[in-house]
Amino acid sequence: MKENNFNDYKDEIYPMFKNILIPISSEFYNKEIFQTGKYLAKKFNSVINLVYIIEEKTLIQTEKSLNSYRTKFDKDETKKEIIRKNINLADSIVFKDAKRVFSDEKINVNEEIINGEFSSVVKGQLNKYNFDLILMGFEKECMLNYRLFDEVDIPIWIEMGKKKNCILTVCSNLAPNKKVPDISRSLSKILNLDLHMIYVVDTQDSVSVDNNGVRSGKKTENELITRGQQFVLDMQKKGVDIHLLKGSIEKVTKKVAEDYKAGLVIIGRAQKRKNVFGIPTKGLKRKIAESCDYSILFVH
Amino acid sequence: MNKSDDDIAGEYSLIKDKVPNINKRNIIFITLAFLIIIIFYIIPTPEGLSNDGKMMIGILLMGGILWITEPIPLAVTGLLIMIIQPIMGLIPAKDVFSSFGNQAVFFLIGAFILAGALEKHGLHKRIALKFLSNFESSPKFFTFGIMISCAFLSFIMPEHGVAAMFLPIVTSVLIVMKITPRKSNFGIVSMLSIAYGCSIGSLGTLIGGARNPLTVGMLADLSEPITVTFFDWMVYSMPIVFIALPIVWIILNVTFPIEIKNITNAKKEIKNQVIKSGKMGKQEIIVLSITAITIFLWIFLSSTIYFTLAVISIFGSVLLFFTGCINWKDVEDRVPWGIILLYGGAITLGMGMQKTGAGVWIAHRLFYGMGNDTYIVIFGIIILTVLLTNIMSNVGAVAILLPIGLSVATEIPGVSPLLAAMLIALSGGLAFIFIIATPGNAIAYSSGYFSSKNLLKAGVLSNIICIIIIFLVAIFYWRGVLGL
Repeated sequence: MKENNFNDYKDEIYPMFKNILIPISSEFYNKEIFQTGKYLAKKFNSVINLVYIIEEKTLIQTEKSLNSYRTKFDKDETKKEIIRKNINLADSIVFKDAKRVFSDEKINVNEEIINGEFSSVVKGQLNKYNFDLILMGFEKECMLNYRLFDEVDIPIWIEMGKKKNCILTVCSNLAPNKKVPDISRSLSKILNLDLHMIYVVDTQDSVSVDNNGVRSGKKTENELITRGQQFVLDMQKKGVDIHLLKGSIEKVTKKVAEDYKAGLVIIGRAQKRKNVFGIPTKGLKRKIAESCDYSILFVH
Repeated sequence: MNKSDDDIAGEYSLIKDKVPNINKRNIIFITLAFLIIIIFYIIPTPEGLSNDGKMMIGILLMGGILWITEPIPLAVTGLLIMIIQPIMGLIPAKDVFSSFGNQAVFFLIGAFILAGALEKHGLHKRIALKFLSNFESSPKFFTFGIMISCAFLSFIMPEHGVAAMFLPIVTSVLIVMKITPRKSNFGIVSMLSIAYGCSIGSLGTLIGGARNPLTVGMLADLSEPITVTFFDWMVYSMPIVFIALPIVWIILNVTFPIEIKNITNAKKEIKNQVIKSGKMGKQEIIVLSITAITIFLWIFLSSTIYFTLAVISIFGSVLLFFTGCINWKDVEDRVPWGIILLYGGAITLGMGMQKTGAGVWIAHRLFYGMGNDTYIVIFGIIILTVLLTNIMSNVGAVAILLPIGLSVATEIPGVSPLLAAMLIALSGGLAFIFIIATPGNAIAYSSGYFSSKNLLKAGVLSNIICIIIIFLVAIFYWRGVLGL
């Protein structure tokens, strides 16, 4: 079977993923990410930019725990030693692994080591260079707060290292659903993966979001379902396999992804407020990432 | 031109060290701590407790909150505890500050100077490498070597210094062996062996952790003073160390079965580092000799009236100055005065709890439900200490529980003050579960080789086993053989 390539589609789809940023935290390292990087780079003729981040939070935590027990001199020495060893680790293990994976395909790779807080460093890199995808690993048991999920404008691909059988796209009343369907269809073609789509009417936050991302006032469940049905009809006309579901977006996504054995879930700019004071639920995307073992593409 | 986030972040990092770190969380906890004092001032005094005792319990809770949440440095909480007692008219200022005259303070100072000399001349690293080179027959045995070496070094210098020194050695070995962080059980076990080896080793002598001299100091300050010499401490604690070390190592190996078979690269790296450290210099030999003499005197002569713990400690330190192995700048660089201040706060807290009868009152309430069952009380003390030490600093946990534990001895037959103190002091070193529980855990975690989940898994199991070990040693050895 002929493998599809980005160039075959360049006239009809979004120009995606030409310049990929792969941030790797010193807190955890997921080797599989390079395989996905290679896979995407081949499909999109991308340049890979590796940034190894010596996590500031770990250093601060170590320093804090040493307060009162060690002098400033000792703490500085320990900090320097940790940084030195992390640099050594990045050079000797992480970048060498990357070279092994990418050099076979002659993919251009840039490498950098930065000391700082994960999300701040990534945002700093986005300001400096013109990246169009962040490809990263995810681990629950670490100090990272992953606030970049809510604070950056480009797509974030979280690789969990699972085989990709099909793509599941999640649209909902909590997102504009503007780019996500088109990007999903394009990706489905390029990656040769079946596409399934769901539209979730989130019953915990009964609002709708317009094309500009502006939330409406409270809507009745019927209104939300009617709007969802309209979306489903539009997608069905385009030949997409789509279902309308009701419930909490996190739970429905997890369940359906498991049912389909989806390797990649694409989610848009969903924001949720569900408590009595209407305060935004912090880290909805992080919650979704924490509860699943499939890869996720957050499209903003 | 608009500033990028990066520029702003850069500027922020430049000024953030100069601006006091006051955040909402810290303000909330400081307010809460003082609120507790106000509440205790207002509420009626419970039956069987004096008004001073009630306020002392308020101070204990205030100290507990500040030591757990750390909105201010641990040492500053120690100072706060000291000044609040005379302010509230509980203990005269003269008595509070005289606690710094306790010889355990000077023992600590001397021990820190000795450890500083070992670190300055890299002698601790040389000893560590020498030790490790005897454990190169297999990867499993190598991790046991890490644990034993960390424990041994924690007998002669503070555990945090040992963890900080072992981190680069073991990371270098793992890097040379191409061990991927978090993907290898060998990496996980090696790093956890540093954390747990230091913690267990620190129980062994009075030097390993500041909570040990604190315990000795509090026992010496009792109305009927109890003297514990360096040798006595070792007699009490070493069985626990030597039983716990191999068992915890087995737990690590069972929890994370080591997947690699070849240790050749580790051998080469250790050999490389030994070669790099070169031949022992003249000053290193002098420091080693002074350390050996000091330890010898601590073990065999610290019970005499001429050579007490503090006298020997300061004697060793002065010798280091005489021989030019250390100068005052080294002392400034390497002696953590914060721990001395923390010690002052802890010892005055104990004194206040004892004098006002607050300790006895809490002990009575806490253990009332347990009746007079010695075994349940002993088990309860161990569990309580292990739980507390996992969520706050070891010294803080021991400082809070010692006055209560010592009072238990007056309430429960079969539990002597010495037994209660040893239970708390040794259980206080078993902070295995969380990254923040002890600096050794945080230092090992910074390597990136294990996750907090790994630590939790191994820590819970190791803590359970160590609780059982301390319980059995307390029943059969301390009470049964030594008659504590």
